[in-house]
Amino acid sequence: MRRTLIFGLAAVLAAAGCGVGETPGAEGGASASAGGKVELSFLVFETPNLNAAFWDAAIARASAKVPEVTIKKLVTPNIDRTAYAKQLDAAGNLPDILQSVNPAGFAQAGKLAPFTDEELKNFIAPKAGAIGGKVYQLPYNTQVIPVVYYNKDMFAKAGITQTPTTYQELLDISKKLKDGGVTPFIVGGGGADTWADMYPLTGTVATDVYRKTPDWLLQRAQGNVKFTDPDFVAAAKKIEDLAKNEYIDPAGLSRSYADTEQAFRDGKGAMYPMGSWFATSADANKPSFEVGAFPWPTDDGSPVTPTFTGGGTLVSATAKNVELAKKWALAFDEDKENNDAFVKADGSIPAIKGYTPPADMGPVYNATVAIYQKGMQEGSIYDAFSQEAGDGALPPGLADKAALGVQDLITGKKNAQQFAEFLDDEYAKATQ
Amino acid sequence: MTQTMRRGAPEKVHPVPRPRRRGRLLPGLGRFALFALPGLVAYAFFVLVPIGMTAYNSLTNLNPFNPPTRFVGLRNYVTLLSDAEFHQALLNTVIITAIITVLANVGGLLIAMLLDRPTRLYILLRGVFFTPVVLSSVVISVIWQAILTDDGLLNSALRGLGVDEPPGWLSDPDLAIYSIAWIMAWQMLGFCVVVYLAGLQGVPRELSEAAAIDGASALQRFRNVTWPMLAPALTINVVMLLITGFKAYDQIRVITNGGPGNGTTVTMAFQVVQTAFVSNRIGYSSALAAVMLAIVAFISVVVLRFLQKREVSR
Repeated sequence: MRRTLIFGLAAVLAAAGCGVGETPGAEGGASASAGGKVELSFLVFETPNLNAAFWDAAIARASAKVPEVTIKKLVTPNIDRTAYAKQLDAAGNLPDILQSVNPAGFAQAGKLAPFTDEELKNFIAPKAGAIGGKVYQLPYNTQVIPVVYYNKDMFAKAGITQTPTTYQELLDISKKLKDGGVTPFIVGGGGADTWADMYPLTGTVATDVYRKTPDWLLQRAQGNVKFTDPDFVAAAKKIEDLAKNEYIDPAGLSRSYADTEQAFRDGKGAMYPMGSWFATSADANKPSFEVGAFPWPTDDGSPVTPTFTGGGTLVSATAKNVELAKKWALAFDEDKENNDAFVKADGSIPAIKGYTPPADMGPVYNATVAIYQKGMQEGSIYDAFSQEAGDGALPPGLADKAALGVQDLITGKKNAQQFAEFLDDEYAKATQ
Repeated sequence: MTQTMRRGAPEKVHPVPRPRRRGRLLPGLGRFALFALPGLVAYAFFVLVPIGMTAYNSLTNLNPFNPPTRFVGLRNYVTLLSDAEFHQALLNTVIITAIITVLANVGGLLIAMLLDRPTRLYILLRGVFFTPVVLSSVVISVIWQAILTDDGLLNSALRGLGVDEPPGWLSDPDLAIYSIAWIMAWQMLGFCVVVYLAGLQGVPRELSEAAAIDGASALQRFRNVTWPMLAPALTINVVMLLITGFKAYDQIRVITNGGPGNGTTVTMAFQVVQTAFVSNRIGYSSALAAVMLAIVAFISVVVLRFLQKREVSR
């Protein structure tokens, strides 16, 4: 019997030993494979635009330039790649290379490898999203957030001949549309896509807060300003009033991101404040009406273009081979064909020196790029609230809280002042 | 000794040496230990160790993105006492749990009584009612989201019937929690049906027939014969539904993400995950998880004891 016990125990320990021995290679996501190549794990996310075939082709192109690397693709279970990266990190399995994960928190904790100035020489805004002066995420593309996409047919039927240049004109147009039985704004935020309700507020914060104080969030981190300050409350009040006047339909808050876009396509509202990535979707899968685009207007009509630049690839500080991982990440983000693919699939505006988009891009994308280029020429580029990365970013988790707070603003559960107080409370919790 | 036994003299069987019995027992225990060991190791590794780690983490300010980690004693527990979000999450969890416990039990019992017939159609229907139980909660959530959104099937039908402004089942902050509870009750209904059906099939028909001969009405027969015999089924259903309600997460994540608005459909389990993996406050979320574990364990034990006592007294 004793022999049986000893044998059994030995068998269990042997099995456990085998398991442990296999773990680092299998779960660490990086191991040397045959032929001297290094296998690196790469975390991506899939959307209807950025599907599996898109990622496979893009990975193949980068790997062709860095042949000493083989890539093991990991896919997030949903679009929230930052939350999933945190879960992987908590389990000790942070992938070697990550796509479009928010570096906030990871970088400060020393989990990411910074890129050198030399490595960033081909980027238009090499210091975008810097944390403590170091760049951890390749600033490979710019997005304008929001652009107001509109239904030209509905505008024409309501007798609206010009897009608004001042906020008052936007309100006048909204009234005209509503009086004609049309919901002026399509705003979503249902299901797991709570973030989709943020874009009107992102617009008003840029026009009312960031234009006066471009580094407002940095100042918030230093305690110099608060959400309850008059400028921010005024920005929130604009959203409160849009909802009160029924220019935004609260019922839209049950719509997921995909359903929200579909609602605009179905003509359930005239204006759709959304990120510039909608442009290629509108071009590739054209609605039954013409889509136009204009920037979120300011009170006095002067231009403000809220943008986010960054969003590229990051490298784990504990990658199997950090230098090779960075080389591969740069090859991935700088590759012309990859950027063309990003432009066509996701409406990205690549921030790579000398890059020009494909000549056959559609009218909505071209109108969107024109808004961005005008902003660049006029020097009216500002951050897009809740989208920021780097030192001027919201603390982890606060963007999600802000999106939930916007739902309260739209449903009338909170007024602008209460919303601002809520954000100050949540800011304190997130940074304690 | 062997010869003695063969002769069949009972008085000589008694003096069996005790040490030999022990000798037989020990190998039995050894084998038991051998077979139980993998299970025990897995249980310790996947249940006991994480619980221990959670308890330890709850006494720290652990935030992997904001080192260093310090021991903070009971500060996290003191904080959650005054945390309005936690109170809201607890209230939401209790509302969801109460609704699914009542709805699924009542509905499950009624349907089980209707299906307690041995024909093929009813056997097929049992399968139909059980289907939601075996479907993934995420699949169920996606289906119900498509039904309950503003442009969904239900509101389209209501508009077709002339309702101009149908309710915002998922967008109205006052209504969303009940929509979530309804979906969870619907999913668990099949489980209750099967458990009650098993219970009903264990009720001797003679008892019911005897009561009928004594002049008992159908309602009296149910109250005094069938219902008491279903006590074990009720115990199983109530405890399972309580646990399901208290760990509600999947449906919230997919359908409302805690909204509309701040906290309207946040449950304790949802708050634990959000606090840990969105806000990175793992120390605080561990305290939330520890309190959640204590509440679920306490309620489960109390309810289980009460219902089991009821089984005995009946």
